[in-house]
This record gives sequence, C-alpha cells and structure tokens, in this order.
Amino acid sequence: MTAATLPARYRVASRAAETHDTVTLVLEPVDQPIGPHLPGQFTMLYAFGIGEVPISISGPAGPGLVQTIRSVGAVTRGLCEAGAGQVIGVRGPYGTGWGEADAAGRDLVVVAGGIGLAPLRGALLAALAARERYRRIVVLIGARSPDELVFAGELQAWRAGGADVLVTVDRATAGWAGHVGVVTQLIGRAQLDPAAALVLVCGPEVMMRLTARALCEHGVPPGNIRVSLERNMRCGVAECGHCQLGPLLLCRDGPVVSYARAAPLLSVQEL
Amino acid sequence: MNAVAASLLSGHAFLRGMHPSDVALLADATLAVELPAGHRLFDEGAPAANCWLLTAGQVALDLPVPGRPSLIVETLGSGDVIGFSWLSPPHEWQFGATAVEPTRAFELDGPAVQALCDEHPRLGYQLAMRMLAAAVSRLQATRIRLLDLYAPPGGGAAG
Repeated sequence: MTAATLPARYRVASRAAETHDTVTLVLEPVDQPIGPHLPGQFTMLYAFGIGEVPISISGPAGPGLVQTIRSVGAVTRGLCEAGAGQVIGVRGPYGTGWGEADAAGRDLVVVAGGIGLAPLRGALLAALAARERYRRIVVLIGARSPDELVFAGELQAWRAGGADVLVTVDRATAGWAGHVGVVTQLIGRAQLDPAAALVLVCGPEVMMRLTARALCEHGVPPGNIRVSLERNMRCGVAECGHCQLGPLLLCRDGPVVSYARAAPLLSVQEL
Repeated sequence: MNAVAASLLSGHAFLRGMHPSDVALLADATLAVELPAGHRLFDEGAPAANCWLLTAGQVALDLPVPGRPSLIVETLGSGDVIGFSWLSPPHEWQFGATAVEPTRAFELDGPAVQALCDEHPRLGYQLAMRMLAAAVSRLQATRIRLLDLYAPPGGGAAG
C-alpha cells in the first residue's frame, strides 16, 4: 500500500444527527492527518471490520475533517452509528473541488437536493467567509420533507451571512411556511443573472440532470454549471477503474465535473 | 385594487413578448391587487372566474382535509400564474389558494378576458399558448416530484 491508499486513523470527536438517517461526524486525527482538502473532494471512510465507502467532505478547508453520512447500507450504517471516541479509517482527500472561488466578482449559486447539500456546504462556508469577493450568493435547496433537510439549523446563519437561501420540499408538514415544489422551480424565483452565475449542483444524479437542464433553459451556459458525480469509487487514485464514466475516472477527474463535459455522458444508458 | 398600466403588465414574465396592443387590451381587464398574508384567493369547488399573475410574495395551493391541516400541494411566487380552472368547464376551482405572505399580483377578469379573446383572435391565440406553456411547466414539475428525486440511489442497497 502507498501513503495515498493507506488509511489514517481518525477518532470521532463529535456526532450530530441531521435527520433520521443522516449524521455529521467531526473527525480528528489519531496519528498523522491526511493532506489538506478542498470543498467538493471526498475521502474513503473505513468502518473497521465492515468496509470502506466514499464520503464527501462537508466542512470547509482546514485542519478538521467534517463528514456527513447517510445510512444506506452496512458500511454507512456502521459509520453513522460511530460514537464519540470511536476510531475509523480515512484515506484521501481525493478528486476535484468545486472551485467556488472562480465565481469571484460574479454570482455564486448553489443548488442542492437532499443530502447533496453536504458536499456543497464547505464551498458555501468558504464563500461566506469571503463574502465581499462575490456579488450574490444564492442557495437553492430541495428536500423530500422538512424533516429531511440537512443542516436546517444553519440556514438562518447563512442568510445572516449574506446568502439568499430558498428551500422547497416535495411534501409539506404542519407548520412548514416555505416553498412546496421541486427544486428546479426555485431557479426562476431566485431571479438569477444567467450570464454572471457560476452554479454548483449536487444531489442524486437525476436531480442534477434536471436541474442543469433547467439552468440551461434559463440561459446559464453549460460551462458555468458544475455537478458532482458519483460512481463506484474504490481505490481513489485512478488505478482500479471501478469509477469509470466514459473517458472519466471520477475519483480523479471528478467528482466535480463541468456540466458541459458531463452532459453527453449522463444520458448514455450503458455508462 | 388599481387599474393596470399596459407597460407594467407587459413586464410580467407570463406576458413578455406579447404585442403591445394585445397587452393594452388585457390591461383593461386587469387590476393590480395587494393580498395580505392569509388572504384566501379561492376555495375548492367555488366558481372559477379569475386568474392571477404574481409579481411578489407567495401563494399556496391547498387541498382541505377534514380533521387535519390542509395539504399544501404547491407554492407559487413571482413570475407564476395562478388559475387555470376559469378556462375550461366546469369552471370550478380544483384546489384552494391562500397568500402565505404579503403578495402582489395582476388579477385578470376571466369573463372579460374571454370576451376579448373572442373578439381579438391574435390575443386569444397568444394567451392560450402562454397558458399552455405554464400548464406544461407545472405538469413537468409534478412529474419530477413523482420521481422522488432525493431518494438514495439503488434503493439503499449498497454502501
């Protein structure tokens, strides 16, 4: 094993439940930490004795490691159940970042579906920390229902920090006073300047395709839209080929990819 | 409620690009309205005679359920059109609608607009095409919601 593929031991410093099936872990290194990361990159998290999965980093660049995990199988369930003090393995960081700073002097628009907000959170926090560099910062969030919103407790702080935050849900529950409808409907309501927007989109792949299509219909050039693609990441260093999507090895060439590059690949059934 | 200047009306996304003389005709059948939060625009089953072009605020379409809070079907905001039922039989609202925050809109008088459309076929065609586009957009949004977009891939079987 090389240093890039050898897990580093990290201890769970804190665990916060986001929704009924999603938790955010703050990790601190036990020994040597992994290298610095960019918002949008991912790590391979190893639940010892169970297995390893790719998880996007949900915190900003910095010494700490914040990872938000949805329990969808044995490994992620093991990670979600990890309590404070438990040790897990971490490899990475891998892949490409959002490059949110490319929107300096323009509008930064973040569109998230469900847990897709997690990989975007680091980019958003970095942009808010340098708020003066951007014109507008717009955050559009879609979720199934209000109780499935991740980072719900941070939305007000993002607004106070200078972001326009719109949230919509598929199904409203009692007391919900926000939008009801699909996230693509928020694009028109946000009154974007399509020529001046860099749009970062993350969520399930179908949601990203439909969102990118709607953005293009509103005049945003495909080259100004970035999506985060996920395949079967295994090695993280573009050697095993499990994450191939056409000409891309997504652990190296992604997960963040320009929609101009991704669009022709996302509608090919065999890929 | 105030009469609407054609120049203001033509700025609404729904009417953008419409011939100025057609917008001027519509303006004669339109009022600018301000709806306070909680204002009820219409109830399910009531006669449908109007249509609103929203310019600010938010309106919720709902379905009352006895013994439970009303179900919110969808919310609509600036640039959206509310009210299709006035166009076709039985001319009854299929859902209810309430302004959930202070809302501004152009309110079109349905019978007056229909009379204008009968008299001015170009206006009628333009309006029908815009209503169709709005309905298609809403249909597509509804279909997307049916996909359960935010579900984990693979039904949660992996990882």
